[in-house]
Amino acid sequence: MRPFSTRSDLCRSARPVPSPLLRLCAFVVFAALTWFAGANTDFDRMQRLASERFGNQAGDMVGAWRRLIDESRDIPETDQLTRVNHFFNRSIQFDDDIVVWQQQDYWASPLETLGRQAGDCEDFAIAKYVTLRLLGIPKERLRLIYVRARIGGADSPVSQAHMVLGYFATPTDEPLVLDNLIGDIRPAARRPDLFPVFSFNSEGLWVGGAAESSADPTARLSRWRDVLARMRSEGLELTQ
Amino acid sequence: MSLTKQLWIAIAMVTLLSLGGSLVVSTLSARQYLQQELAIKNMDNATSLALSLSQLDKDPVTIELQIASQFDAGHYQLIRLVDPTGTLLVERKYAEHNQGSPTWFMRLVPIETRPGLAQVLDGWRQFGTLTVESHSRYAYESLWNATRQLLLWFAGGGLLCGLLGTLVLRYITRPLGSMVEQAEAIGGRRFVTTPEPRTLEFRSVVRAMNTLSERVRTMLADEAQRLEQLRRQTQYDDLTGLFSRQQFLNQLDAALSRNDASAGGLLLITRIANLAELNQRLGRTAADRLLATLASKLSSVGEAHPGRECGRLNASDFALLAAGELDAMALGEAVNAAFQTALTADLPHTQLLIAVAGYAEGEARGSLLARIDGGLAAAEHDEQHTLQIVANHTDQPLYSHPDEWRKALTHALQGRAIKLAGFPVLGRQGEVLHREAPVRLQLDGHWCSAGRVLPWAARLGLVARIDALVVEAACARLDRHPEITGLAINLSTDALRDAAFRDQLRRTVQAHPTAASRLWIDIQEISALRHQMEFRDLCLTLRPLGCKLGLKHAGRSFSRFAELHDVGLDYIKISPAFIRGIDQSPSNKAFLRGLCTIAHSIGLLAIAEGVGTPAEVAALPALGIDGMTGPGITAEPAALSEHP
Repeated sequence: MRPFSTRSDLCRSARPVPSPLLRLCAFVVFAALTWFAGANTDFDRMQRLASERFGNQAGDMVGAWRRLIDESRDIPETDQLTRVNHFFNRSIQFDDDIVVWQQQDYWASPLETLGRQAGDCEDFAIAKYVTLRLLGIPKERLRLIYVRARIGGADSPVSQAHMVLGYFATPTDEPLVLDNLIGDIRPAARRPDLFPVFSFNSEGLWVGGAAESSADPTARLSRWRDVLARMRSEGLELTQ
Repeated sequence: MSLTKQLWIAIAMVTLLSLGGSLVVSTLSARQYLQQELAIKNMDNATSLALSLSQLDKDPVTIELQIASQFDAGHYQLIRLVDPTGTLLVERKYAEHNQGSPTWFMRLVPIETRPGLAQVLDGWRQFGTLTVESHSRYAYESLWNATRQLLLWFAGGGLLCGLLGTLVLRYITRPLGSMVEQAEAIGGRRFVTTPEPRTLEFRSVVRAMNTLSERVRTMLADEAQRLEQLRRQTQYDDLTGLFSRQQFLNQLDAALSRNDASAGGLLLITRIANLAELNQRLGRTAADRLLATLASKLSSVGEAHPGRECGRLNASDFALLAAGELDAMALGEAVNAAFQTALTADLPHTQLLIAVAGYAEGEARGSLLARIDGGLAAAEHDEQHTLQIVANHTDQPLYSHPDEWRKALTHALQGRAIKLAGFPVLGRQGEVLHREAPVRLQLDGHWCSAGRVLPWAARLGLVARIDALVVEAACARLDRHPEITGLAINLSTDALRDAAFRDQLRRTVQAHPTAASRLWIDIQEISALRHQMEFRDLCLTLRPLGCKLGLKHAGRSFSRFAELHDVGLDYIKISPAFIRGIDQSPSNKAFLRGLCTIAHSIGLLAIAEGVGTPAEVAALPALGIDGMTGPGITAEPAALSEHP
């Protein structure tokens, strides 16, 4: 573990003060974005953006996703999980980032995943997480979990880094696992091929009501915060 | 408030605003930056600690140790682990709020940090939520140091700006002082010019004032020129260019009434005894040429010494007046020699008679002329001696030998045996403008008038010492009598030229501030013009003290007033030669009127000297004269003279 900051770090980092004018501009942009960010998720805008960037088929895909959300609003949480898991596992094709995005590791926003109709395990987990949060499931119940996956069963010698979405019905229970490797949702106990390593969600990112903003220069430094900020700029609100 | 002060305040305000503003902005932006850094540190450290905790056995001691070691080795305000139901598992908190920066600063610029949150897993189960908060003390410290450093820089910068600003202001407003002086001088009718400054606005103002001054100066010069022409036409003899009879007699009267260092002197009259015969023999034209030649010879002798005047008394008689001179024989020989060079060349048959007589202060003109006539008659009968020295008036001088004079004068000076007379100078309404205060010296128990003593004092070089005593006596008298409107004292040429005396004069006047503004200082016109450097120096010295300065016996050289007017004179006293008989002389009236106009246009009072008759008193105010003095002028008999 690398301690991020020491006293000398802080002192040194206080020196290069950005120019006052730049700071002022940043502040104005920040204020403006905070103002607009108060709006709810703008599906029309997302649909239009998808069409513009990835073609009409992508627009249709976002439309289908939008219908899924509309239709799944008032059904029990377990049904919501099943539908969302099914939707993404069926319509998104698994592919490595290097194939889809020509980058070693790229965390795509739901819009981008829907637009390309392809993605790797993170993209699946993120898209499912976001969709379920949009459907009203509290953030405490959802976790993105890094797991070590044995490919081909619990006894396989081949293991791989993988990410799944966990659903905790209560804080103390074991979660249900939404995975793109298999079609159905199973409790964690029935997934001996997966070994959990670390989990996170968007908790703590918006402490004290401060809205996460893509204008915050530090947001882009973390993959997770980066993708959240990108979602926001595409019209997707996750603050609630 | 002066312009410089206002500009300085403006500079100070702009500097303060810009420096203070940038101080606030940079402090606030540094705070924003620190807050972000702290937030990132919190988040990352929470994540990495949660990651390592997730990999460990969930033995409470191990967990506690892990958190404690992270807390103790790092820089944290708080590390807390809470299980999913909200029960506190482990907490480490830095209780003491010991800070490296003052409390007021922390209250003024609070640093709000966001705690980092991360989840700890126990297998698939949630083990707890980890909260990590870094210590903000270092942030405060570094913010405080940065702010203090900036403040120091800004204070230094502000001082430098102020210093530069002051220098720049001084440079910019440097011409302003001389502009104000010029404007005030013009306000006091001293039409001076100053060099044009480089600043555009200042330059146009100065140019305008210079143009005004130039124009007035030209106007004055033209006017003086015109008046000089008038004077030449009316006061001079056409043929010879010498003073006409009337004007010469006026000059003679003025000389006889003088009571200063040039009191007493010599009068020489030369006569061509056979002018009628020459006229017949040579013809009128040649005779006139002869007269003109002789007159020019006489003039050349007259010009050899300042204060000599030449005139033509009638067809055959010329006169030379040498005020303040004693050696009759030398003067006679000089004139004789000059004539002989002219006569031996062309006209050996001219019969030329010369008589020289000394006169004393106050002698009647008639008796002086009668004595010289006697001398001329004697010369006519004595073929051997055409140059006759006429014996002095019976009134014998006090001492016959210079050494006796020196002894007596030195004694009087050491005993400070002087007092001041007081002849009134009246204004138009009859009010006393000031009193003229000629000196009286006590020699061997007798009080002697200035006219008897000063010529000898001047010859012996003692006159500056007398003048110094006079200045002290006048100041003391003005101090003692605040009701006296003014006292005029006469400074001799020797005193004017003596730098040590001028310095002493300044110190004496400075020591009597209440007297200074009532002290009038007379300088002879001829001295002021001949010693302009010294006169200017005197004016520069005395003006700031409030003394009034003026020219005495003025009028002869009024056409040169333009050379002097910018030093700031207050008045002129016009010589009796132009005042005597003014009521009967239309030409002198015209001249005097012009003189007064010029004097007024440059802000001078015009005072008439030697006013004798009631007719003169009546005629003068209409010509523009502002004040009068002389034997015909008396004020109420109060305190005419007094011991100092």
